[in-house]
Amino acid sequence: MTTDSHALTTVEHSPVGGLAHDARGGISNPVLGMILFLTSEVMFFGGLFAAYFSIRAQSFQGWPPPPFDKENPLEIFPLVGPATVLLIISSFTAQFGIWAIRRNDRTGFIRNIAITVLLGVVFLIMQGIDYTILASKGLSLDAGPFGTTYFTLTGFHGAHVLGGVVMLSVILYRGMAGQFSARHHDAVEATSLYWHFVDIVWIALFSTLYLLPGTTVG
Amino acid sequence: MLGIATLVVVVVFLGILAARGNVVDQLGNVWGSFFPPAATSTQGSEIRGLYDIVFLLAAIIFLLVEGLIVFAVVRYRRKPTDTELPPQIHGNNLLEVIWTLVPTLLVLFLFFVSWRTLNDVDRVDAAAPVQVRAVAARFQWSFEYLSPDGKQIQFKQFEPKMFVPVGQKVHLRLQSADVIHAFYVPQFLFKRDVVPGKENSFDFTADQAGTFRGQCAELCGEGHFAMQFTVEAVPPDQFQSWLQQQIDNAAKQSQQPAASAPASGQPPASGQPPASAAPSGQAGATTLALTAKGIAYEQQSLEAQAQAPFTIAFDNQDDGIPHNVDIHDQGGNSVFKGQIFPGVATQNYAVPALPAGTYQFVCDVHPNMTGTLTVK
Amino acid sequence: MATTVLHPPTTAPGYRSGLYEWVTTTDHKKIGILYLVNSFIFFFFAGLLALGVRAELAQPGIQFFAPTTYNELFTIHGSVMIFLFIIPILAGFGNYVVPLMIGAPDMAFPRINALSFWMLPLGGLMIAAGFLAGGGAAAAGWTSYTPLSEAKYMGVGEDLWILGLVLVGTSSILGAVNFLVTIFKLRAPGMTMFRIPILVWTVLVTAVLVLMATPVFTSALIMLFIDRNYGGHFFDPASGGNAILWQNVFWFYSHPAVYVMILPAMGMISEIVPVFSRKPLFGYRAFVFATAGIGALGFSVWAHHMFTTGSVYLPFFSLMTALIGVPTGVKFFNWIATMIRGQLRFSTPFLFSLGFLTMFLIGGINGAFSAAVPVDFALHDTYWVVAHLHYVLFGGSVFGVMAGVYYWFPKMTGRMLNETIGKIQFVLMFVGFNLTFFPMHMLGLAGMPRRIADYSSAAGWSELNLLASIGGFTIATSMLPFLWNIFVSLRNGEIAGDDPWEANTLEWATSSPPPPYNFDRLPPIRSERPLFDLRHAASTVGHAGAAAAPATEPGA
Ligand code: HEA
Ligand code: HEA
Ligand code: CUA
Ligand SMILES: [Cu+2]
Repeated sequence: MTTDSHALTTVEHSPVGGLAHDARGGISNPVLGMILFLTSEVMFFGGLFAAYFSIRAQSFQGWPPPPFDKENPLEIFPLVGPATVLLIISSFTAQFGIWAIRRNDRTGFIRNIAITVLLGVVFLIMQGIDYTILASKGLSLDAGPFGTTYFTLTGFHGAHVLGGVVMLSVILYRGMAGQFSARHHDAVEATSLYWHFVDIVWIALFSTLYLLPGTTVG
Repeated sequence: MLGIATLVVVVVFLGILAARGNVVDQLGNVWGSFFPPAATSTQGSEIRGLYDIVFLLAAIIFLLVEGLIVFAVVRYRRKPTDTELPPQIHGNNLLEVIWTLVPTLLVLFLFFVSWRTLNDVDRVDAAAPVQVRAVAARFQWSFEYLSPDGKQIQFKQFEPKMFVPVGQKVHLRLQSADVIHAFYVPQFLFKRDVVPGKENSFDFTADQAGTFRGQCAELCGEGHFAMQFTVEAVPPDQFQSWLQQQIDNAAKQSQQPAASAPASGQPPASGQPPASAAPSGQAGATTLALTAKGIAYEQQSLEAQAQAPFTIAFDNQDDGIPHNVDIHDQGGNSVFKGQIFPGVATQNYAVPALPAGTYQFVCDVHPNMTGTLTVK
Repeated sequence: MATTVLHPPTTAPGYRSGLYEWVTTTDHKKIGILYLVNSFIFFFFAGLLALGVRAELAQPGIQFFAPTTYNELFTIHGSVMIFLFIIPILAGFGNYVVPLMIGAPDMAFPRINALSFWMLPLGGLMIAAGFLAGGGAAAAGWTSYTPLSEAKYMGVGEDLWILGLVLVGTSSILGAVNFLVTIFKLRAPGMTMFRIPILVWTVLVTAVLVLMATPVFTSALIMLFIDRNYGGHFFDPASGGNAILWQNVFWFYSHPAVYVMILPAMGMISEIVPVFSRKPLFGYRAFVFATAGIGALGFSVWAHHMFTTGSVYLPFFSLMTALIGVPTGVKFFNWIATMIRGQLRFSTPFLFSLGFLTMFLIGGINGAFSAAVPVDFALHDTYWVVAHLHYVLFGGSVFGVMAGVYYWFPKMTGRMLNETIGKIQFVLMFVGFNLTFFPMHMLGLAGMPRRIADYSSAAGWSELNLLASIGGFTIATSMLPFLWNIFVSLRNGEIAGDDPWEANTLEWATSSPPPPYNFDRLPPIRSERPLFDLRHAASTVGHAGAAAAPATEPGA
């Protein structure tokens, strides 16, 4: 059974030393990993959206159903609209940060990431205020299928923003410690991809929840 | 080794058959068990026709592929003389195209025959002559007989027995009071889910008289296994008179609600005693306690005195679930039938005097709830 | 299974094996072994629950378990078998073998790899802990259909089930990212995509399925959790929800998931059959495309579990379901063509592979019955489906896993498993398996619904059920020689050497067990069988080591 005979004497030297084996060009491992992870995130939100649309389609009370109907619609102003704009801007600042570090411009990088973190935090605060306003009007997680879907979708998005803020803060901290350079900033690239994703999800959410016209049932 | 294993399976199998009598007969039975029971509805017969086609196709594919494996295993075992490598074949385009195309054609054929059958068995005719709604709730079935337009309930049958006329199409609507159930009659080769918040329906035509076992086929909780019913197909005239009688009864009852409501009855021709509890209040000498809990009788056996009326204090502990006590003699005839009522509640059944003997009591709603009554 | 079990006979420098080392390791090989051991522990647990089921069903009447308990038994049996045995154990093989097969030193993200693993025992314990919770474990079936699984009907056990599965799902997703990056980025020079072993291809497609499908399931679980605990209205039709929505989301995940449970097993068979036939796999490329095809079609058939709901478009799902037989058939014919004109060696790994071929075929064909929708109207939710799922999952995946254990055990431990005991195990398992699950076809046709705690003696199902119960205990018996074999072979098994099977792929080019970071040097990779090329070149022509070999440097 033991056929050790063809020991690898005929082979040239070891090609694999350590773990640093991803140098075959193209995207780096962390960035590829993040892209793949975001694929799964897309599917996660896809599941939530599918639930939203299927419940919406079969609602026999129109959409949104009471208590959130014509008299009492969701408000884009003063909070949610501006928050949306801020989140979109933060995607740009994140990207400016990337471009800065690619140029090895560390101050520009730190400044832009700091603004991004700030905008993220402001977004979360505004969403929190909006939640309390909605709650005061009687819209909560358990207030009918609309409340359930609304808070689940926006809540999971908010949790992702929070996660993004934490990740960006770590990036900021490491940036200020001087750990990133034009050649070495995979973590920054990966985090900014995540941040763009969070932004895009919000645009989809905003369009669905606020812009898509409701339906009425006679 | 695989051969030995297969052989063991076959020998064990034949051994079991031999132990049970004539092997040839038994083999016939085994062959029969590869098929569904004989269909008793026209739709079921169509499905059976389709099953036979699929079975034939499957058997051919199975024998062919399994045969090829066995052939390879027997023919190409390594011999001591095999020192040289066998020919290193990496593939063969023609072969691979063939064994992609042939199964594709088979699959398309399978799809088309099943589509054709599907269109037949899935067709619904909302104007069918008989309109019934099966209502499933944890854990029992009841049947509402609807007016021809399907809008009004003419009467509701609480006992899980559904009477239908032979040869007439029945439009069956399905309604659930709580979770998902499924209406399944093996001899119709058919089932359909009973989904809360959504009315499913299908049509069937029983093509012979008889009693067909049915059972809930979707897990619905601890009493799922007990959610049984029967479909009784009777000649149309018998069905009509039964239906009329039930409608009349229902009308009478709604006029005098105080009367002890008999559970719904039998078709007149079935020769069973009229379903009614002895007038209550006239308590017998002895009282037997009987409790129903978790879709089972807590007392599996009761004892009573012969030739003396007695009372069963029936305590239904199952919240919202109806039960009753129906006493059968050795011949299976009902000698006493208590009223069906939902828990949590208690009723005293006054049972008339019975001759000595062993009786069985069952719940008409849950045929798996049984016990024995010894009268001496 | 104590940790000593895993002590490598030859201790390479820096390859410590203390308990601490096992808990903190990020080495893909140790993590792979952890996956396997953990999965087998859950297998025995779920198997014991199945024995409970079989004991109860052996005769009509309620003998051992109250109906509620019975429902808990099969629910946890199915859930644990699927989520904590079959899926993780295949991921475990992938973990151990994939980096070796592509000539990589480890997985791309070793620490995430360790994290993925440790979520599993945690999630599994949560699911099992339901038995200790008030109100018992989850009892709505492994499919947990709503509204039965809502708070109104199910207790805390259901919440534990949900949270446990969220953990297990997250573990799968992280694992899938890891596999994909590893396969895309860490291949050794010369290891082009069309030279990676078929097992690696199947792991790749599996990872894609996990990545696309599992998060949808996670979202469904979370919605159910919200319904149950925070007054949500997703699935309860009584308050504006949609009961069928759960089934759509669940099966959107769970049908692709059944291919997660079979593709890696098919991959293992595709490694083993050529080695023991001494021939290359017939139709490598066809195999790759068939695997991808199964993966792609797998996303368009989920509603074949919902044919009787009255809520899906039947002809479409019927056609897609039937079509999936075609790529699977291609695989079958390729395996058979590999054996034909070969020189078959009946060692235990090959025996189990033959078990896979003969039994999975039955499971595939009886699955195809259900593709004919009207036939499924008869068969759905009867024991026919129980027969189908065990023929594919046990006859397919478990036989594949056993083949894999016997095949790679020498690599993992440096010692061979005992052939005689292996054959005894095989015969017992094969016989017991058929005895248990073949009669279920007949029970299903005769109209026995699944998930029932009891049946009437008048139904005529008693004999076949008794037979199945005897079979179930026979399968359990077959586990004793298996455990014994592992136990004795770890101590006294024949020393395996680097390449006991005359195999084809790179993992056999390093020592058994491999050193940390796997390879000191790699052979040149010019085909999907680098070791075959090497062996053949060395023994006949002797021109190996020629200039054609790619020059490769560490970390180049
Ligand atoms: C490893 C897991 C696995 C695999 C691989 C499969 C493979 C298949 N399954 Fe199975 N299935 C399950 C696991 C799996 N299944 C489980 C767990 C359930 C039950 C879930 C539950 O409700 O609890 C289930 C249930 C299930 C149902 C629902 C039944 C019901 O509830 O009513 C259906 C319906 O169509 C189905 C179909 C198929 C088909 C067509 C395949 C095909 O992929 C099979 C293809 C293979 C072949 C066909 C054989 C080889 C091919 C040839 C030799 C070529 C020639 C063949 C033809 C021309 C047909 N499966
Ligand atoms: C990989 C998947 C897998 C595997 C391997 C098995 C293995 C087995 N299954 Fe399972 N089964 C499922 C997946 C699986 N099952 C699923 C998904 C369902 C559907 C659940 C649902 O409806 O929700 C199901 C349902 C199911 C049912 C239907 C229940 C019902 O509908 O009411 C039955 C009934 O007999 C059954 C039986 C068995 C048996 C006897 C085994 C045997 O193979 C088990 C063999 C026994 C052992 C392996 C135990 C060995 C243990 C020892 C020898 C002790 C040693 C102990 C230590 C070392 C600590 N299974
Ligand atoms: Cu009702 Cu099962
Ligand atoms: Cu499926």
